[in-house]
Amino acid sequence: MRNITRRDFLKLGAASTAVLAIETQFGPIASAAERLIEGGRSVNRTSGLPRSFLPSTCTQCPAGCGNMGYIEESRVVKIGGNTMHLSNQGSLCARGQAGINALYDPDRLLKPMRRNGLRGKNNWEMISWEEAYGEVAKILAAAKANPNDFVFMTDDLDQDAVGRRFTYAYGSPNALGGTGFYDANKLVATELTWGAAGDVPDVSKSKYILVFGANPLESNPQFVGLARRLINGIQQNQAKLVVFDVRLTNTKTRANESHYVNPGTYALVALSMANVIMQEGLYDRGFIEQWTNVSPAQLTQHLAQYTPERAEAETGVSALVIRRIATEFANTHPATTISDAMLSNFANGVQNERAVMLLNIITGNIDVKGGLCLPRKYDLAEPAPVPPVPAPSVLTNPPNLPLASHGSIEKALQQIKEGKQRVSVLMTHGVNPAYSSADGGLVEDMLRDEKMIPYHIAVTPFMNETALMADIILPETTFLEDWEVEVRPSPELVPYVSLRQAVVPPMESTASFFDIAAKLANLVMGGMEQYFAFKTVNDYLKARIANIPGLAQAGGLEYLRQHGVWYDPKTRPNYGAFMAGGFRTPSGRIEVFSPRLAEKNFSALPSYEPIAAFREIKDDEMVLTIFDTALQTDAKTANCMWLDEIQHDNPIWINSVTAARLGILHGDPIKLLRKEKSGVAKERSIISTAFVTEGIHEKVVAMANGVGHTAFGHIAEGEKMTLDEIEVPALRDANVTLVWWGHKDGIGVNAKQIVPIAPEPIGGGQAWGDMVVTIAKV
Amino acid sequence: MARARAGLYGLVSRVFSDRPTPELLKGMKDPEMIEALASFGVVFDEAFLAGDEEGQAGELAVEYTRLFLATGPHIAPYESVFVRAWSEDKPQLWGEATVAVSKFYKEVGLELRPGQTPDHLGLELEAMAIMAECEAARREAGDAEGAALLERQQRRFCKEHLNIWVPEICEAVERETKSVFYRGMATLASALVQLHCGGADKITEQ
Repeated sequence: MRNITRRDFLKLGAASTAVLAIETQFGPIASAAERLIEGGRSVNRTSGLPRSFLPSTCTQCPAGCGNMGYIEESRVVKIGGNTMHLSNQGSLCARGQAGINALYDPDRLLKPMRRNGLRGKNNWEMISWEEAYGEVAKILAAAKANPNDFVFMTDDLDQDAVGRRFTYAYGSPNALGGTGFYDANKLVATELTWGAAGDVPDVSKSKYILVFGANPLESNPQFVGLARRLINGIQQNQAKLVVFDVRLTNTKTRANESHYVNPGTYALVALSMANVIMQEGLYDRGFIEQWTNVSPAQLTQHLAQYTPERAEAETGVSALVIRRIATEFANTHPATTISDAMLSNFANGVQNERAVMLLNIITGNIDVKGGLCLPRKYDLAEPAPVPPVPAPSVLTNPPNLPLASHGSIEKALQQIKEGKQRVSVLMTHGVNPAYSSADGGLVEDMLRDEKMIPYHIAVTPFMNETALMADIILPETTFLEDWEVEVRPSPELVPYVSLRQAVVPPMESTASFFDIAAKLANLVMGGMEQYFAFKTVNDYLKARIANIPGLAQAGGLEYLRQHGVWYDPKTRPNYGAFMAGGFRTPSGRIEVFSPRLAEKNFSALPSYEPIAAFREIKDDEMVLTIFDTALQTDAKTANCMWLDEIQHDNPIWINSVTAARLGILHGDPIKLLRKEKSGVAKERSIISTAFVTEGIHEKVVAMANGVGHTAFGHIAEGEKMTLDEIEVPALRDANVTLVWWGHKDGIGVNAKQIVPIAPEPIGGGQAWGDMVVTIAKV
Repeated sequence: MARARAGLYGLVSRVFSDRPTPELLKGMKDPEMIEALASFGVVFDEAFLAGDEEGQAGELAVEYTRLFLATGPHIAPYESVFVRAWSEDKPQLWGEATVAVSKFYKEVGLELRPGQTPDHLGLELEAMAIMAECEAARREAGDAEGAALLERQQRRFCKEHLNIWVPEICEAVERETKSVFYRGMATLASALVQLHCGGADKITEQ
């Protein structure tokens, strides 16, 4: 090509511009096939209104995706994904997008309220913030003589740093989190095994992915971040996906191969595969010898009891299949497993998780590209002065659960119920144990009991089942009007910091939890005010991110406000980082043999422990599986009408063969009765319709979680409204007049209410999966 | 420079987006334009220069259709057809390249009208024209930082997308077309992209 001079270039440029000008004047350039509109100054295509947008962090589920609020005339009109965000990479799920429904929920609580009449009668007196703060501060100050009796409950304590700080500043250790399907058992299992809580399967780079009970394409603590990468793994990287489950999940439908497993026997499937790998000599000798605290010979000997033939008899998966998959898994590199609460929410949950981890360990797939990786995340600073952590209580560390180092509301509820911990004041924040905890009816009774819970402060934007049982309600902002810095294990293995920022200012007289906590701390005094001496929330946030290397140079909080997320652009996944300093276990190695388990008389090597309740299961009895869907997050999202319109009820999945045997037809109303262990206490049962399908194990019935609310407002309860009923103009969304499902399909039923409170003996997390029910036609 | 670049990209974008109008052809025959084009090695023959624009517009519409809309050699003007991602078995519309391009548009804030395919040749060239135009506007407004950002974005888009397929499709057009107009415009588009990406000789200062 010839050389072109600057002069020529400019000249042709000018001439071209001239031609285009002519064209614009006379020619049909507007109809020229494609036109682009300059962005940055975004404009609504239909209304023509200018739009602004702010990045934030979604809290509609535990994944913490980066979202983007689009605002027109100071109203959020759309929520999308933040393309800059390392976790969700621009995608945002239905729940995230429907966050707008929560923000403009017609039943949002906008003023502080005091209970009138009996608890739970839903009789309230509106009061001013001054009065509310005055009353709460007075009660908290009076109760401060016994600070341990103050109990704070939240959804996920890791993400509620303000609540934890408030509780510790008050002098109580009882900051409790971990509701719903929060995965305490998995966190404990991984911590015992490799010294870090949780795992990150590097699925996008994997070649072979084994899934035990998890359903990552529909629900997972890392949801979109993991689902995207799993799809990349199976589509682009041609990974083989093998799924074991009791139910035909969405993930199963995308799998190369899937198998039904007898409920509660996942560990036996995994251990028999591990046995095959050891017997056939397919294991990674070097890794086992250098990085674990057992020898191949020891493991081979221990695993010999788990023969594929035994597994076939107890799990229902054929021995041939077990041998083949074990061989494939061991011979394909890299390979990994995916597991979540659906594996570990059994009475043998910690062992289940350890058994599945073992497959990765013996094949050397630990923290390698495409393997099962250690979680990477930044540590946020606790702003100075740091409130000292009070000595543990029976709620945080129940003596009967010495290894349960992660939050579980169930284990605490049990202690309160049994009178082992006195409660003076209960503060619930963004949590709804009356719905999301096991034995919902019992929790409701506890909350109603004024002797057990003398004073209950609910900090919430919505009147849910728990708020209904409060003495005073402090109306909080929703996540779209709130501030916090969040860190989570990065599915990309590059740590990041995500900012939850107010996309719009607090509605009416609602207040952010930070403001509420700070105000109360400064009124209660007695020393706790020093921990909330921040001038603004900005000071608090800046202190939180102060220790993150590189962020300050990039612009600190200002950068986060602009982009919503920060990560060091030069960082790449540092696979095998453990090789520098070993694992963070007492021995510095992966503790396949766990001395801590041995000390407490649990099986120290990964073992299969049959679930007692399943052994004597009768013909008309079934195992109940409660599963999460992509549309509802436990107790959080049912007031979002876009979600409810798609998922508002939860029929009972039942296998067609079982249904035929019991004379149940598709659509029949059926009743699930809880099997009581001793005597007839309070019979608990639920009724829903039968969903007869081949896509479920013959001895399992399954129900979706997240629906069947008895409070939480018109939308969650499936009732349509007229616009006149909505006092505040900002909440008048015409769509609320179109709610049709409550009358037509019903609103489902909360399945978790019939599951008895049963913390797993090691992890302390609720054993949801152990539920045996009797089926009866109605 | 940015404004000139905007003009050039605008012109080739227009030419490859739709059939020409008589007005466009008249403009192309302007003596200033002819002289400027010559420096890029684009020379129209006498027959084209002397021809009647109404008639030529009709003929070129037929040629445009023949080239790009499937009656003739069918040179599909989409990046994802020319650039096959390694995970794709065969070239396809709305492939990975399309997704990458639309992601880029989103990032820089270019919004597509509904129903458009993001990686159409005309559209990719137009994206460059708009970014160049914005760059010029920012520079004139004294926003050096904003201008530099836009310049970087153009370079990135050029390097990641235009440069890996535009020279190739232009070569195909030059080979297949029966019209001196499209041959010339393909030469121009190819030269422009290669110049911009630094793949060929740089513009000499003069």
